[in-house]
Amino acid sequence: MSIIAVYNIKGGVGKTAASVNLAYLSSRQKGKTLLLDMDPQGSASFYFRIRPPKHFGTKKLLKGGRHIEEHIKGTDYPGLDMLPADFSYRNIDIALDECKKSHKRLSKVLQPLHEEYDRIILDCPPNLTLLSENIFYAADCILAPVIPTTLSLLALEQLFGFLDEIGQGRDKVLIFFSMVEKRKKMHAEMMQSMREKQGVLQAVIPYSADIERMGVYRQPVAVALPGSMAAAAYESLWHEVQHRLPG
Amino acid sequence: MQQPGADTWYMPDALQVDALLSTLATAFTLETAPQYAATVVYADSFDWRLYQQGYLLHCHGQAWTLYHGDSGEVTVQQGGPELSGSRFARDFPPGTLRETLEPLLGIRCLLPLAVVSLSGRQIRLLNRDEKTVARIVVESQQPAGKGLVFRLIRLFGIRGYDQEQALVRRLLEENGVREAASPLIGFAEGCRAMGRQPLDYSSKFTLELDAGSTARQAMGRIYQTLLENINRNIPGVVEDWDSEFLHDLRVAIRRTRSGLSLVKKVLPDAMVDRFSRDFGLLGKLTGPTRDLDVYLLNRDDYQNRLPPALQAGLNGFFSELDHRRQIERKKMTRALRAKKSKAILSAWSRALRGPDRQPAPLAGIPVGELAGRIILKRFKRVLRDGQNLDAATPDTEVHRLRIQCKKLRYAMEFFSSLYPRQEVQTLLRQLKKLQDILGDFNDLSVQQEMLRLTLKDVRAGSRRNLEQAAALGGLMQSLFQEQQALRGHFSEAFEQFGDPATTGLFHELFRKQQGAS
Repeated sequence: MSIIAVYNIKGGVGKTAASVNLAYLSSRQKGKTLLLDMDPQGSASFYFRIRPPKHFGTKKLLKGGRHIEEHIKGTDYPGLDMLPADFSYRNIDIALDECKKSHKRLSKVLQPLHEEYDRIILDCPPNLTLLSENIFYAADCILAPVIPTTLSLLALEQLFGFLDEIGQGRDKVLIFFSMVEKRKKMHAEMMQSMREKQGVLQAVIPYSADIERMGVYRQPVAVALPGSMAAAAYESLWHEVQHRLPG
Repeated sequence: MQQPGADTWYMPDALQVDALLSTLATAFTLETAPQYAATVVYADSFDWRLYQQGYLLHCHGQAWTLYHGDSGEVTVQQGGPELSGSRFARDFPPGTLRETLEPLLGIRCLLPLAVVSLSGRQIRLLNRDEKTVARIVVESQQPAGKGLVFRLIRLFGIRGYDQEQALVRRLLEENGVREAASPLIGFAEGCRAMGRQPLDYSSKFTLELDAGSTARQAMGRIYQTLLENINRNIPGVVEDWDSEFLHDLRVAIRRTRSGLSLVKKVLPDAMVDRFSRDFGLLGKLTGPTRDLDVYLLNRDDYQNRLPPALQAGLNGFFSELDHRRQIERKKMTRALRAKKSKAILSAWSRALRGPDRQPAPLAGIPVGELAGRIILKRFKRVLRDGQNLDAATPDTEVHRLRIQCKKLRYAMEFFSSLYPRQEVQTLLRQLKKLQDILGDFNDLSVQQEMLRLTLKDVRAGSRRNLEQAAALGGLMQSLFQEQQALRGHFSEAFEQFGDPATTGLFHELFRKQQGAS
C-alpha cells in the first residue's frame, strides 16, 4: 500500500492531468487504486464524469470512516475508484485547525482505506497550508510536476524549505518535467541543469494538445488516445514512479 | 463497503435482447460493445485446486483467462500453451499467470474439464454526464455435448451508483427477468457432460458413516469408497498426466490393505486372504514407478543441496532415473491394463456388494464398537513401540513405528465420522506431527540407501562417472546430516504425542463409544 501525492505550489502545471492518468495506469496494472480529489475545483472528478456528492464535504472528509466510504464512487474503469472533491474543501484549513493533532488528521483518516486499496493517489490543491502539511505527512511520495522555468524552480525551492520547516525529509519528493515544449531553448537548458539532481525522474510529459483536450473527451489519455505520444509519456512516468515507491 | 458484485438471472424465453435494451434506453444512454463469441475450455487440476480457491480458468486457443468464479472479476489474462492433454504451471511463460498458478497447482497438472461456447455482449449504462453507472452482460452459454443453451443476463453495479442500479433492477423485473441463475451454469453443466462435477474428487478420505450400521455394512462402504478412488485414478496413471494419480492410487491401495489387516472377522476369512494377496500384488506392481517419481520430484532439492561445482554431476544420474522410469512405467501400465488387474477390481466390487455366503463372526456388531476397539488397539501399539524411541534407535525400528502410526492414522480416518469432529481433528493433528518427522526420517534413510546402491554400480574410469560419484557422495552427506538432525527431535515429538492430555483424549473418545453401543 502506498500513497502518492501529486503536488506543486504553483497551479496550472499539469497536476490533475498527471493524477488522473497515473491513477488509471496504476489500476490497470493489477492494483486497486483510489484517486482522492483534494482540489475544491474538482477537475479530476470532472475528468471522470463524477459529480460532487450531495451530502459530502470537509466535515465528513475529516470525520473519516464510513463518512468517506459511503461517498467513494466507481469510475468507468475496473479497479479504479475515486472520492470526488467538494467545493467546501476551499475552507479545509479552518476545519483542520480545529482538529486535534491537526497535521496528522488526513493520515489518520486514510488509514482504514489501506486495507481495500493498493494505492491511493492524492490530487492536491496548489498552495502551502496546513492541508499541504497533512498531505506531506500522509504521503509516501510527493510527486511534483515542474515546468522547466525559473519561477517553477523557485517554487520547488519553497517546497523544500517548507519540508525542512515541518521536519519532513526531502527524499520523499520526486520531480518530473511537465508541459515541456521542445522548441523552447530555456526548457532544454533548465532540464539539462536539473537532470542529474536527486529525485528528478527521466520521464518527461510534453506540452500537448492531446492532454489539453482531456477536458473534452473526459477520459484518461491512454483510453482516449492509446497510441499517442502523451499516453506513452504517462506510461513511462508511471513505470518510473512505481519503481521508486517504498515497499 | 464491498464493491457490489454481479447478479445473474435467466433471460425469459419470450424476451428478445433488443426489446430489453430499448426499455433500458428509456432511462440510460446505452453503449454496446461488439458481440463476442468463443468456445472456451475450462481447466483445473483433477482435485479442483483452482476451484477450491474460488478461481476459474479457461482457455481459448492460447489465450488464458483466470478469474474469480463468484464476482466474475478477471484476475489475469495472458497467453499460454495450447491445452492438449495435460499442462503444468511450468509450461506457461514467465509472468503473472504462471506466478499465480504455480503455488495453487503445485505438482498437479491442468486438465480440460468442460467445453462451453460463450457468446454475448456487454452494455454500459450511462447517465446524463455519460458516466458509466452500471454494466449489463447478456450472454449465451452452451456446454458441449448438450443441446441446451443457457441465456443469462448479468448486472454489474458500480460503487456509489446505488439508485441507478435499483432502477435497472426494476426495469429488468418489469420485463420478466426474475429467475436467479448461477453465472457458472454453463461451466457446471459442461463438467457434467464430461462426467465431472465441481469438488467431486479429493485425495483426502472422507466418508460419512451411519452410526447405526453394522460392522460389515460400514466396512463395505469404506472399501467401496477406496475402490472408487482406485478406479478414478487409473486413467490418469495410464495416461501419465501427473505423478499424483499414481500416488493417490497407491494410497487407496494401501488403505485397503491396511483395512484388510486391521479389521479381522468382519469379512469372511477366505475373502480377506484372497484380496490381501491381490491388493498386495497391485501395490507391488505400482511401487517401482512411484519410487522413481519421488526421486524425480526431488530433482531441484537435490541440486540445491550441492555446491555449484558438483551440480552437473547429477545430470547423468537423473537422465538414468528418467530412463528407468520409462521402462518401469511401461511395465506398470501393461500390468494395470491386463485382465488380471481388472479382474481383481471387479471381483472385489462384487464381493463387497454381494451377501457373504458365510458371514464372519463380527459382521453383525455395531460399527461403533468395532471402530473404538480397533483404534484404541492401534493407539496402544504405537504408544508401546514408541516408548523406547530416542536418538539412537536403529533406522529399521523407526521404520516399524512409522508403519504403526500409518495404521492408526488410517483406522482413525476410516471411522472419523462417528466421533466429534473437533476432537478427532486434534488427535489427528498430533499424530500427523509425529508421522511427519518419522516419514521425513525414513525418506532420508531410503534415499541414502538408493544412492549407495547407485554408487556401487558407478564404474571408475571416465570423467563423467567421476563427477557423478562426487555428486552422489555430496548428496549422501547432505541427506545424512539432515537425518541425524532429525534424530534429535524424536523424543520431543513422541513426548507430545504420548503426553497425558493426548492419551486421555484417545481413551475417552474411543472407549466411551465402545461402552455406549
